[in-house]
Amino acid sequence: MAVLRAENLHKTFRSRGRAVQAVSGVSLRVEMGEVLAFLGPNGAGKTTTIKMVAGLVRPDRGLVRIEERDPHRDPWTLRRLGAVLEGNRNVYWRLTPLENLEYFGVLRGLTAGAARRRGELLLRRFDLDHKKNVLTQQLSRGMQQKLAIAVSLVHEPALLLLDEPTLGLDVEAAETVKQIVRELAAEGQAIVLTTHHLDVAQQLSERVAIIREGRIVAKDRTKTLLARFSGEQYEIEVAAELDEPRRRRLAGLGAEVTDGHVVYVGDPEGLWQVLEVLRPLPILRVEKDRADLTEVFLKLVREEADA
Amino acid sequence: MLRVIAIEFKRGLLNLRRYPLEMVGQLVVITLIFYGLFLGARYIAGPAAQFGGRLDALVVGYVLWTLSLFAIGDLSWGLMNEAREGTLEQVFLSPYGPARVYLARNVASLLIMLGFNLVILFVLLFLTGAHLHFAGAAVWPLAAALLGAYGVGFMLGALALYFKRIQAFLNLFQFVMMFLVMTPFERLEGPGRLAGILLPITPGAGMLRGLLARGEPFDMHLFALALVNGLVYLLVGLWVFTYAVRLTKERGLLGGY
Ligand SMILES: Nc1ncnc2c1ncn2[C@@H]1O[C@H](COP(=O)(O)OP(=O)(O)OP(=O)(O)O)[C@@H](O)[C@H]1O
Ligand SMILES: [Mg+2]
Repeated sequence: MAVLRAENLHKTFRSRGRAVQAVSGVSLRVEMGEVLAFLGPNGAGKTTTIKMVAGLVRPDRGLVRIEERDPHRDPWTLRRLGAVLEGNRNVYWRLTPLENLEYFGVLRGLTAGAARRRGELLLRRFDLDHKKNVLTQQLSRGMQQKLAIAVSLVHEPALLLLDEPTLGLDVEAAETVKQIVRELAAEGQAIVLTTHHLDVAQQLSERVAIIREGRIVAKDRTKTLLARFSGEQYEIEVAAELDEPRRRRLAGLGAEVTDGHVVYVGDPEGLWQVLEVLRPLPILRVEKDRADLTEVFLKLVREEADA
Repeated sequence: MLRVIAIEFKRGLLNLRRYPLEMVGQLVVITLIFYGLFLGARYIAGPAAQFGGRLDALVVGYVLWTLSLFAIGDLSWGLMNEAREGTLEQVFLSPYGPARVYLARNVASLLIMLGFNLVILFVLLFLTGAHLHFAGAAVWPLAAALLGAYGVGFMLGALALYFKRIQAFLNLFQFVMMFLVMTPFERLEGPGRLAGILLPITPGAGMLRGLLARGEPFDMHLFALALVNGLVYLLVGLWVFTYAVRLTKERGLLGGY
């Protein structure tokens, strides 16, 4: 059973006579223990999609199922969902971390006692134990964000939505939050994560969905997507000057030579021929070019823009 | 549901304790007003003066007036603050649903306000040695009137949720409240009389006036009318609020886009 199944979601906002098509035809699927990185440029429709999943924005069309239940029809579906929403405080600044956990735990359906116990556990786990009786207002931004994540987990949801959890944090705080997401992912928590930190997305996600102007432009396993965009390109670094005959033979094989580097685009068979030409020069490095998510992301987003 | 009321009660008390100045300020104001009433300064009761000159009548009238004011505005102010601060959507993620959560919040804060008033009242009674002959029956029309006030509170909450900035309107609404609480509709004839039955809060307030100022006996029919009026306004208020929630989700305006 999929933890999240969203199919063909559409949303058009009308404000002051203008219609903005925020999301058109987005489908997402998250299995148990899976992390989906949901990426896209500003205004692409990520937050709108996340809020439709959380039952906070009503879709014009399409369906949302969390463990096969509809959050828009059956409010108790929300018992299985936790969310940290973009740019929001998400917690009460006038309460302490423990009080927040207890309050929201009860609001999500726990008893006060269970919420407190679970809260204590989460505070220890997120290293906020020493701050549990300090007003949330007085915590650092990073700690506040950690608390927001803890609160979203207090009722042990099946699905966690994190909408840009590192937005507005300094480098160190962002690092702490990334570490938490990493740990949660490792524990098998199903997560939908939107972020502009593509390195995090690349490290953490089993799957990636890229959205642009309300439409999904790529959706695949992270590995597959990266492989698809990694060319058959090899770079070889040699520790000696290449002589003229070698240069000519390499050119014949289609390899390019630039100061100490040989770049070859082709299949592995051809690579051996290139290496044969170089023998017995000392080779420092042979590397297959690997695309990273940033490249893939930019390519896809631009490609579509040109089309 | 009781759990939610209990946790809202705890949250309300914590908020009070965190802002002792706010609390002390409130305590001082309430104490002064009650004290004024005790000294016989009728004008201090403002709209409550309509409830007759006797001390107990003044006190009950004043309690009705402050609690109704609180009942109609509390939810809206809360919603606007939460939309601005960014906790609103987390509350809406509760499986209990916003109507129930905010109902629980209202019950909790009413209990706190009531507690405040009663404690001060008893302290003053003790200190001044005054006696109040509470017509215990006054509690019932008071409760009926408050049901209606909370109904109106949910309707205003609906506006606050959708439009976000209705401060000016809320302030203006205080005068509407004054009109509803003060006007002796029950003494009018014809359409005025009918309005007294149909408008929110008025049947309960009218019955209170009858009991306290004119010394009328407790009339079961009048009370039934006041209660039905209160319940209908509360239900309609909840329905309007739920509808506003739908509309707000439709427009994506919850977080205040
Ligand atoms: N309630 C609303 N009313 C009108 N337009 C809206 C509303 N909410 C979002 N939009 C518009 O819908 C589009 C998608 O917005 P959304 O917030 O989903 O983007 P996003 O991918 O989350 O962007 P970002 O990376 O900046 O957070 C934008 O053009 C935005 O201006
Ligand atoms: Mg966004």
